[in-house]
Amino acid sequence: MNSNRSDKTSGKAEDKADVQQGTLALMILKTLESMGPLHGYGIARRIEQISNHLLSLNYGTLYPALLKLEQEGSVASDWGVSDNNRKAKYYTLTRAGRRQLARETHEWEQTAAIVARFLSSEGEHS
Amino acid sequence: MRQLRAWFLRLTTLFNKRRNDGELAAELESHLRMHIDENLDRGMAPAEARRQALIKLGGVEQAKEQYRARRGVPLLETLAQDVRYGLRVLGKSPGFTAVAVLTLALGIGANTAIFSLVDWLILRPLPIAQPSRVVFLEASYKDRNPGTQFSYPDFQRIQEQTGNIFAGTAAIQMFQMDGLSVGGGSTPIWTNYVSGNFFELLGIKPALGRFILPSEGGVAGADPVLVVSYAFWKSRLGGDPAVIGKKVSVNGQPVTIVGVAPKNFHGVEASLDTQGYMPLGMAPVLQDASKDFFTDAKSSSVVLIARLKDAVTFQEVQPELQVVSQHLSTPNRGDMTLLAQPLEAASLVTGPAVRPALKLASSLFLILAIAVLVLACMNIANLCLVRVAARQREVAMRAALGATRGRLIRQLLTESLLLAAFGCVGGLLLGIAANGAFSSIPLGSSLPFVLDFHFDWRVFADALTMAALTGFLVGITPALRVSRTDLNEILHEGGRAATAGRQRFRNTLVGAQVAGSLMLLIVAGLFVRSLENAHRSDLGFDPSNVLNVSIDPHEAGYQQAQAREFQKQLLLRARSLPGVVSASFAWSVPMSYQSYYSPLKIEGYQTRAGEPAPAAGFNAVSTDYFATMRIPLLQGRDFQESDSENSQRVAIVNQNFVDLYWHGQNPIGRHFSTTGDPGHAIDVVGVVKNSRDSDIFTNNDPFYYVPMFQTYNSVVTLQLKTVSSPEALAPALVNLVHALEPAMPVFDVQTMTAELGGLNGLLLFQFAAVLAGALGILGLILALVGVYGVISYAASQRTHEIGIRLALGAQPSQILRMIFGQGLVIIGMGVLAGILAAGALARLVGNFLFGVAAFDPLTYASAALVLAVVALLACYIPARRAMRVDPMVALRYE
Repeated sequence: MNSNRSDKTSGKAEDKADVQQGTLALMILKTLESMGPLHGYGIARRIEQISNHLLSLNYGTLYPALLKLEQEGSVASDWGVSDNNRKAKYYTLTRAGRRQLARETHEWEQTAAIVARFLSSEGEHS
Repeated sequence: MRQLRAWFLRLTTLFNKRRNDGELAAELESHLRMHIDENLDRGMAPAEARRQALIKLGGVEQAKEQYRARRGVPLLETLAQDVRYGLRVLGKSPGFTAVAVLTLALGIGANTAIFSLVDWLILRPLPIAQPSRVVFLEASYKDRNPGTQFSYPDFQRIQEQTGNIFAGTAAIQMFQMDGLSVGGGSTPIWTNYVSGNFFELLGIKPALGRFILPSEGGVAGADPVLVVSYAFWKSRLGGDPAVIGKKVSVNGQPVTIVGVAPKNFHGVEASLDTQGYMPLGMAPVLQDASKDFFTDAKSSSVVLIARLKDAVTFQEVQPELQVVSQHLSTPNRGDMTLLAQPLEAASLVTGPAVRPALKLASSLFLILAIAVLVLACMNIANLCLVRVAARQREVAMRAALGATRGRLIRQLLTESLLLAAFGCVGGLLLGIAANGAFSSIPLGSSLPFVLDFHFDWRVFADALTMAALTGFLVGITPALRVSRTDLNEILHEGGRAATAGRQRFRNTLVGAQVAGSLMLLIVAGLFVRSLENAHRSDLGFDPSNVLNVSIDPHEAGYQQAQAREFQKQLLLRARSLPGVVSASFAWSVPMSYQSYYSPLKIEGYQTRAGEPAPAAGFNAVSTDYFATMRIPLLQGRDFQESDSENSQRVAIVNQNFVDLYWHGQNPIGRHFSTTGDPGHAIDVVGVVKNSRDSDIFTNNDPFYYVPMFQTYNSVVTLQLKTVSSPEALAPALVNLVHALEPAMPVFDVQTMTAELGGLNGLLLFQFAAVLAGALGILGLILALVGVYGVISYAASQRTHEIGIRLALGAQPSQILRMIFGQGLVIIGMGVLAGILAAGALARLVGNFLFGVAAFDPLTYASAALVLAVVALLACYIPARRAMRVDPMVALRYE
């Protein structure tokens, strides 16, 4: 019974997450590149800081995204100890992850540039 | 690549779910701790610090679930859940499960058993390399039956001229019977004489030793080698590998065993095991009839098979063959078309005409078996509907808790597929058991029939498909229905949903069951009546107290003169055995596997356009044959001892012969001759009554008899008409044979009555009747269960209503009529539909009936009556129960 209910909710949540996940993955990868190995909480905090708290992130949604990246081989994880002596799982960018980051950064910049140009040209005509 | 890796990881996590769950919990826990620590550092109170952290983290359970969905493969996981849950549900109602599994097992078992027969009869290809590229040649004529036999010179010509379409052509002298002697004594062995390239052309490997080589067989007597079949090697030669190289004798001539054929290869005619293969060159040495074999262009005795050249298609073969056919020495080659036919199992000896009949019979029985399975499905579907109705609350609860419709349907389908899977296993077991029964059918002959109904992949695929379809069909209706129901209604109303629509569906199901089962019963009835008719049919001879014994002197190494002397001696002595009324020889006995046939030239008879050229079956018999068989002489005289090799050729014909060729005029003194021996005119000296001389199916064919000592054949059957039980005389007769020649093989010792049960006698009728009867009874039981189940369920659903009616003053008999009436209507409709369904099958069934019309009103009426009575009885019991409802109990029950 339990599984049925959760099956349903997960189905819905995934639909929403799909759009976000692309960008979320990019943010995670970028964070790991600039910060080095980091635990889930640290990644969440960092993303929030960088976005100047404009992006309200449900910290929980981070973990499925991390799992996906790990399964795809872009990040690796290991248990370690945090600054204030808490056991935490640390994520590291792999070489494949770096490649993915480079590629996705490029793609994202391209898209952003196109959209920007499109929007500005639209403005000239009106 | 990355996707692949991810999927692989996801699949592996299926197996260590618990550990992963723990790890995620630990990770989230550490996340929370760090957040709380930080909040505390900022000066929040501990409770507030924790609250804020939790808010920020969001729905932990959702995150976990999302994480799990990402981690594993949800479909597989829920499937495993469904299976586990389904097993639990089925285990909770063992009664239902047992009935359902048994019903499905019967349905699938019947299908599997019949399918394995069909597989053996027509589907399974010969176990040779690329069987679809191998053909046999057929000489087809406008006005005559096609022939498959050619002369050796024609074989050579065909071989020379087909080099651009065939990779090779091989000649086979099919089914010769020889006597094999290993040390003392001699046993019959069924052999093929083959051209040297035979095995190479088939592309098979010997199980032991070597095959006959392409270089062997071209010269008479040059290569005395023998390859034996695997079964023969196992059963008669003790499976001893040392037989390779062993010197044995065949028909008294020394021969060396060089190889053993593969286990599953029984020769190019797969229904009989060819026990030995020898080079064609041995035929002139070992077979009297083949002395001039290599040069004789008149006698056709070899079957030709060929393998198409690579990239040559069937269409390209035909025009080439047409050219070749004009160069052959075959008589009437002008009207002949040489055809390449696919070499399918059981087509060479039995002739191409048998295959369509086999296909028809196969499809008929498959239809019947599928009807049984459909009936079984309907029963289970009905049971499932009833169960699902009872489980509505459970399903509604699950839906209320968030299960999607697809998820519910999947769950219910999983349950029915589980049932089908168990049914499939049971069905396969039943099928194997039924096969065992088929294989042990006595065929009334010493011929090495291959009854190999082993379950190959086709049979398993059939059973699996049936099971999957069954599970789906059975589950889908209830699943769709229940998942469509309105939650609120069910949860609020306390489980008393409106059932009118569903009841109508169920009634239709029951009507269809009655119809299907009636169809099965009618077909079964037709087959049973046809068996009865065959039993009662006028054979034209009297099979009682007749003992048959076959001997073949050439297997003991006898030449013609010696053999003839032996036959004469044996006949004399047999006649003086005590208890013998009369004794006679015949080349063949009615209903046996041996029969003879000859094209004729008939004095005073002109073939008109469109009519087949004259031909008739014949038998060569000794004096007293008609006395032994009790066939009455209508006109003229019986054969006499004076009808010998040196006297005028004579014949006795049957009445059909006279009617067909001489229009009923007095035939005595008229002549005819065989096309094979046109030089000898045959005088007709007598006419006998028609009898079923070769098989039980026909008695209106022309037939003639010639004196055995005016012609020659080594294999003959001695028939004794005895005073009392013929079996008792068998040992004395065998002793008599062995007293004359200790090494003489004796075979097919059996009574004429037993012979009647053979393949050309009643066997097929018996088999069809038993098979159709079993399916009919299965159908009847299924219909009975179906009707009873539905009517009693309907009645129990109406208990409340019946209570009210009774309380308001309805008479019990009115209640009885109400419930019973409902059943009556369904059954009536079902019976009508069933008669129509049987009528639709009638044309197909009609092909296999004997002395009964496919629309036989008596059979239809009695089957309908039996079914209606049984079905009404199944209605009556629940109706009576409903009538006895105590209004107080029924009303209080709510």
